[in-house]
Formats: sequence, C-alpha cells, structure tokens
Amino acid sequence: MKYFWLILTLAAVIWYIFVTAYVSFKGVTDIKEMLKKLGDKDRSA
Amino acid sequence: MTNFNWLLDGSIVGLYLLITMAAGLYVRKYVSKVDDFLVAGREMNVYLGIASLAATEFGIVTCMYTAEAGYKYGFAGATPGIAMALSMLVIGYTGFCIKPLRDSGVITIPQLIEKQFGPRVRWAAGVVIVLGGLLNMGVFLRIGGQFLVTIIGLKVTSFNLWGFQVGYLEAMMTVLLIGVATYTILGGMLSVLITDFLQFVVMSVGLIAVTLLVLVYVGWDKIVTTVEVNYGAGGFNPFVHPDLGWPYVVFQIMLNFAAVLTWQTTIARVLAAKDSMTGQKIYVRTSFFFVCRFLIPGIWGIAALATLGQVTNTLDAMPTFLSTFVPVGLMGLCVAAMLAADMSTDSSYMLTWGSVIYNDIMAPFRKKEWSEKKGILINRMIVALIGVFLLFYGLWYPLEGDVWTYLGITGTIYLASISVLLISSCYWKGANSWGAFGSIIFAAAIPVAFLVLEKTPGTKDLAKQIGPYYSGIAAYVCSALAMVIFSLLKPKKGETT
Repeated sequence: MKYFWLILTLAAVIWYIFVTAYVSFKGVTDIKEMLKKLGDKDRSA
Repeated sequence: MTNFNWLLDGSIVGLYLLITMAAGLYVRKYVSKVDDFLVAGREMNVYLGIASLAATEFGIVTCMYTAEAGYKYGFAGATPGIAMALSMLVIGYTGFCIKPLRDSGVITIPQLIEKQFGPRVRWAAGVVIVLGGLLNMGVFLRIGGQFLVTIIGLKVTSFNLWGFQVGYLEAMMTVLLIGVATYTILGGMLSVLITDFLQFVVMSVGLIAVTLLVLVYVGWDKIVTTVEVNYGAGGFNPFVHPDLGWPYVVFQIMLNFAAVLTWQTTIARVLAAKDSMTGQKIYVRTSFFFVCRFLIPGIWGIAALATLGQVTNTLDAMPTFLSTFVPVGLMGLCVAAMLAADMSTDSSYMLTWGSVIYNDIMAPFRKKEWSEKKGILINRMIVALIGVFLLFYGLWYPLEGDVWTYLGITGTIYLASISVLLISSCYWKGANSWGAFGSIIFAAAIPVAFLVLEKTPGTKDLAKQIGPYYSGIAAYVCSALAMVIFSLLKPKKGETT
C-alpha cells in the first residue's frame, strides 16, 4: 500500500502542475470567446 | 510566532484581492438577462469550466477537514477523494444523468424533477436542497477565519471600534464576505466564472508550492514513517483502520457519487456549459483533481503530525504547522491561495443556492412571467440575503461539535433523496410523486434521527454503536427503497383506491 500512495502522490503533483499550466493558458481563450459571444448577443438583442 | 510578514506577504495578498475584485466587477456589464446571471448565458467552455469547478469545490473548509483527515487517519483519510474522482470519471464518461439534465435546458435539478413528479415535489426538492446547502455552507466563514487567524498569528484577538470590542476573526471574514458578495450580486455567474479562473490559478500555484516544500523539507520517508508509527497498516488501508472499515468506504462511495450527480454547485457547471458534451468533458478532465483535493492537504496534515506530534485541536494542527513552516514571501502566496479558494467557494455557493430559491422555491409566486430586469433584481436580493444569513449563522453563531459530522449529516439530508429523484426522473418512467415524497422524507429523517440520538444523553451510546457510516448508508438505501415501494403503491389513473 505504501507504493500505491507514493505513486498516487507523484501522479497528483505532476498532473496538478500540468493542468494548472494548461488551464491557465487555455482558460484565457475561453474567457475571451465567452465575453465576445455575450457582447454580440447583447448588441443583436 | 509565525512567518507572516505584514509588508511583503500582506502586499501579495492585497494585490491579489484588488485584481480579483476589479475583474469580478468589470464583467457585470455583460449581465442583461436572468440566464446570464444564473448560468452565464450557457457560454462556458471546457477549460474555464475545469478552473471554475476545481476552484469552487476547494475552499479553506475543504483544506481544513481533509488535512484533519490526514492528521487523524493517515493516507486512508484521502479515500473520499478517490471515490469522488472515480464517480466523476464514470458519470462524465457515460453522461449518466448529466446528459439528459443538460439537454433538457433547465437551470436547476428540481426544474427537471417537476416534469415527472409535478410542481409540489419540485418545491419540496428545492426546500431540501436549500436547507441542506445553506446549513452546510453556514460553517464555511468561521472555519476560513480560524485558518487565517492561526496562520497569520494574530496574538490579540480583538480591537476597539467606537467603544465596541470587535474580534479580528469576525472583522476579517465580514470584510471578505462583503467583497465577495459585491461582485457576485453585480455580476452573477459571469463574475463567479472570471474570478474562479483567477482564483484557480492563484490557489493552484500556492498549493503546489507548499506541497513541494513539504515533500522536500519534511520528506517522504518521514511522512510514511509517521503514518506507520501512529496508525500502522490502517493508516494506508481504510478497510483495516479501526475507526474506518468497510462501512466508511461504502458510505464514501454513496456520498460522493450522489454529490457528483446532484450537488448544486457542481452540477451548475454542467448547466452553464455550452452543451452536454462540454459538460461531460469538464467532468472527465476535472475528475483527478478530486484525488489532489484530498491527498494534498492530507499530506500537509500528516506533515503536521510528524512535526508537532499529537495535539488537542486536530483541526488547527495544519495551519499551526504551516504558520512556522512556510517562509516569508511564500507565506503571502499561501494566504492568497487560501483566500482564493475560500472566495471562489463562497461566491459560487451563494449564487447556486440563490438560483434554487429563485427558480424553484419562488416558482409558485411567479404565475405571471417576470421581466428580465425584475428577475435579475430579485436574484441579486436573494444573494444579498444569503450573505446576511452566512454572516449571522456562520460567523457570529458559534458551531459546537465535529465539523465533518456536521457537513456529512447536512449533506446527506439533501444528497440521498435528490440523487434518487434525479436518477428516477431520468431513467424510470414508473416513478411518481408518492415515491418522491417517500424518498425525501426517509432521506431527511434518518440522518436527523441519528443526530438527535447522538446529542441526547440517554441514547448517546446507542448512536455510538450505530455510528455515522451505517446511518448514512441507511439513508441512501431507505431513500431508494422508499422511491420504489411508494411508487408501486400509488394507484394508477383509473384504478380505485
């Protein structure tokens, strides 16, 4: 069981570092697109 | 004595707060309809959804009780995280319930439930959700305040304001709540999503930095040895832990499966997604975060045990350890990360419970369609009132007893019945209002009865023998059985009673 927790801890830290970097980058694009679509909806209403 | 430096660390925290508030207030101009306010116009994409879901479901309260679980049970205390991650992966991959839920275009779960069970069940479900949710959330502010006061190391507990003695804890959390409520009231889900994103980044950087520091300076060997010495094999395996065992594991599986399906703040991300496929992707890709959510603070808790030894107040062990372990500079990032975690949770919770009050509990009073302007105004007022409730209930009213038991009981009151109602409304045409009411009553009665038994001196020992896990399992099983039995008992149309 000790090795199970070691592997899980390593996987958690590595996965979290990767996801934080990736989501930080891609999330900005999502925000820009979302605000653009909402702005367009407001103008067309 | 702590390592918190008011000039350096305080500036980092202040800068973070300023940027978050500005971003939250900036997007309010995009809110013109109730849909924009409650579900961000359903324009949320995958990565923003991941950031928002992760930030919402990790608050200071989460960090405190998961660290406490690590301190008290070792690695076995992280079991709920594995149960939650697996539940989210399976539900996200298969679309079980969440696909029909998102495809139906509803704003809340009770709205979908009404289609099969009628308006009375919708109203009752709304009341159960709000009661369970708000009582659950009621303790967030106080626990968040406890963490901040401990880690900052305020020796003086109160100050004089115009002749009144005001506690630092109360003042700190009041100011924080007013800030969070301001951008949530003005920008609704849009402000919540934007600030959640910023909070996810700050929170994650802080969590990762502190975890690496713990792993390097406390060391993996010392962490493992501490668990071995204090808890033996039970510290690694929940099935052989004397205080946990199989009832704990089964209860965690049921609780977390139900939470992933129906917890309003979690499901709100699926409902705000631009389509059901996006909602499913958010679930699949966020699932492993829930292992981190329990394991990372759990390791901090074990490190606290390794460094401090046995302490009386196990909830305060982790912040006490961090207050002297984290160096100046990184301490500011750590406090900002925890503030970020707390703010994102508070804002989302206020908005989503508010959405159920507006959409379901107030539904009978909206016979005539309200204008968008009036709808937004009412929603803003509801969020403000929830803020007032939180302030008085959570901050000025002292909580007695164990936090996790409190959260588990209030959560089960809602989760057991609403998960049964949701599954039935999606996949069982034979389910009806008798079954729904039976399910709601049994799911609420069992945990409440257990709490009463536990608090009554004459039945305290009986409650101890039953234990919270058997009582929790009984709530889920009886709720499901009540749905089946009462649905079958209800006479069909045309039959005489």
